[in-house]
Amino acid sequence: MSDPIRGQTAICGLGITEMGKVYGHDASWFAGESIRLAIEDAGLEKDDIDGLLVNPGITGMMGTGISIPLQGYLGLRNLRLLNHMNSFGATASAMVQYAALAVHHGMANYVACIFADAPLQQGGSAGAAYGGAGRRGPTGMASLMPAFGFYGANTSYALAARRYMERYGITNNDLGRVSVAQRRYAVDNPHATMRQPLTLEDYHNSRWIVEPFHLLDCCLVSNGAVCTIVTTAERARDLKSSPAYIWGMGQGHPGNFPHAEIEVGTTSGATVSGETAYRMAGVGPEDVDVCEFYDCYTYTVLRTIEDYGLAKPGEAIGLYPEDPADPEAELPTINTGGGQLSSYYMWGMTPVSEGVIQARGSGGDRQIEKHDIVLCSGNGGTLDTHGTLILSPNAN
Amino acid sequence: MAYDKPLPSPDENTQPFFDGLREHKLLLQYFPSADHYQYPYSDRCYKDWSTDWEWRESSGNGEVYTWVRMHQLYHPSWKEEIPYTLAVVQLDEGPRMNTNLVNVEVDDIRVGMRVKVVFEDVTDEHTLPKFEPV
Repeated sequence: MSDPIRGQTAICGLGITEMGKVYGHDASWFAGESIRLAIEDAGLEKDDIDGLLVNPGITGMMGTGISIPLQGYLGLRNLRLLNHMNSFGATASAMVQYAALAVHHGMANYVACIFADAPLQQGGSAGAAYGGAGRRGPTGMASLMPAFGFYGANTSYALAARRYMERYGITNNDLGRVSVAQRRYAVDNPHATMRQPLTLEDYHNSRWIVEPFHLLDCCLVSNGAVCTIVTTAERARDLKSSPAYIWGMGQGHPGNFPHAEIEVGTTSGATVSGETAYRMAGVGPEDVDVCEFYDCYTYTVLRTIEDYGLAKPGEAIGLYPEDPADPEAELPTINTGGGQLSSYYMWGMTPVSEGVIQARGSGGDRQIEKHDIVLCSGNGGTLDTHGTLILSPNAN
Repeated sequence: MAYDKPLPSPDENTQPFFDGLREHKLLLQYFPSADHYQYPYSDRCYKDWSTDWEWRESSGNGEVYTWVRMHQLYHPSWKEEIPYTLAVVQLDEGPRMNTNLVNVEVDDIRVGMRVKVVFEDVTDEHTLPKFEPV
């Protein structure tokens, strides 16, 4: 039994800017480009936009990210819905969810949901962009972190990954299979930054970041923006591009407390979030055709596959061929644009944007033939926050 | 050579914890109403929201919850150490601590391995709680 809201709302417009090492612009500029592309895609006019939800990436923490002033920058004068949202990597799916609820109940007609970020500086490294360079040193117990040598997000995910790997006997070669499989999809994605094919040997030869993570276990850092426009199914039907109907929505936020009563590494919020979204959509794991999973690290993909019930605990790697670089090897229909590992890192908008493309059937050479049910995940913190969207080309 | 790595910077609330380390004691916050040990410092118990607590000395016993080898250099003082081992230790009292493992070969480290605290007096002013195999 599905919920009555299933298929009643849709993403009717998608704008993806140039991605990656695109210099000379701030996050607002990218946001402006993404909404311009999205209304053009939908066949809308600027004044049709009456809702704006924004999520800055890391530049939001550096003081140069998009926020409420974006309304003035874009000259949006008809807003009936406006907010700055942040549940980290789960935000993109959450923005679409709140927008869908709002349009369904008449609070707005066309809500633009924008993620924009521009942390990369010419001549600077990706690590510098995300490593907290220049931030003030912590005090209190937090000051023990640098004293012990803990730095960066890579460390906390590597710690979670190690626990998962030792528990289930997952090897670095297994993580490499995820990385190589996604790169094969990225080769066919014109939006992707990393399009040269990859082998398992390349994976093993990439430098260590925080063991068990090689460089090629870690997502990219990108400048760019993605805008999705959410409206009712009724309105979406008559617009220029085919809609991605929203079938299911969910969230699950277990938090991350350093205590024995909270397991970290072998669970995530996807379990609760997925159940909620499956119930709304009236589908189960066996119905899913395409997955677009938040893949800040290779490990996160395996964790997410299992939490959505697509494989038993510890068995997600079984969905991947032994050598995904082999052109004869069939790839799982997961992260079909290359994901954050190989295409672009727009936090939760990476899976949402590719999910819209696949649901619409506009994926070109990387399009998955059967794409009736597309499952998208967002994930933030160190598996602390989670959001789910289930998209479909069919209204019902 | 003088110790040049980042040093802890105690604040008003956590000064007793850092004073405890100098005396080679690992102190945890204990909240009696929920019978709950908490770390790192908070002014409120996250179980029952009580604000009534006391410092209690930990047994210092626990097990390796997870661990990694750090290869990235964020601060120049770690240059000679890289790659170095970072770990999360599950204390028997319940809280988990981020720390370093010492007196162990990398190949011998396992999740679940029993460890106990050792106090490293890195300067006259500062002591760090690290862990070694039992």
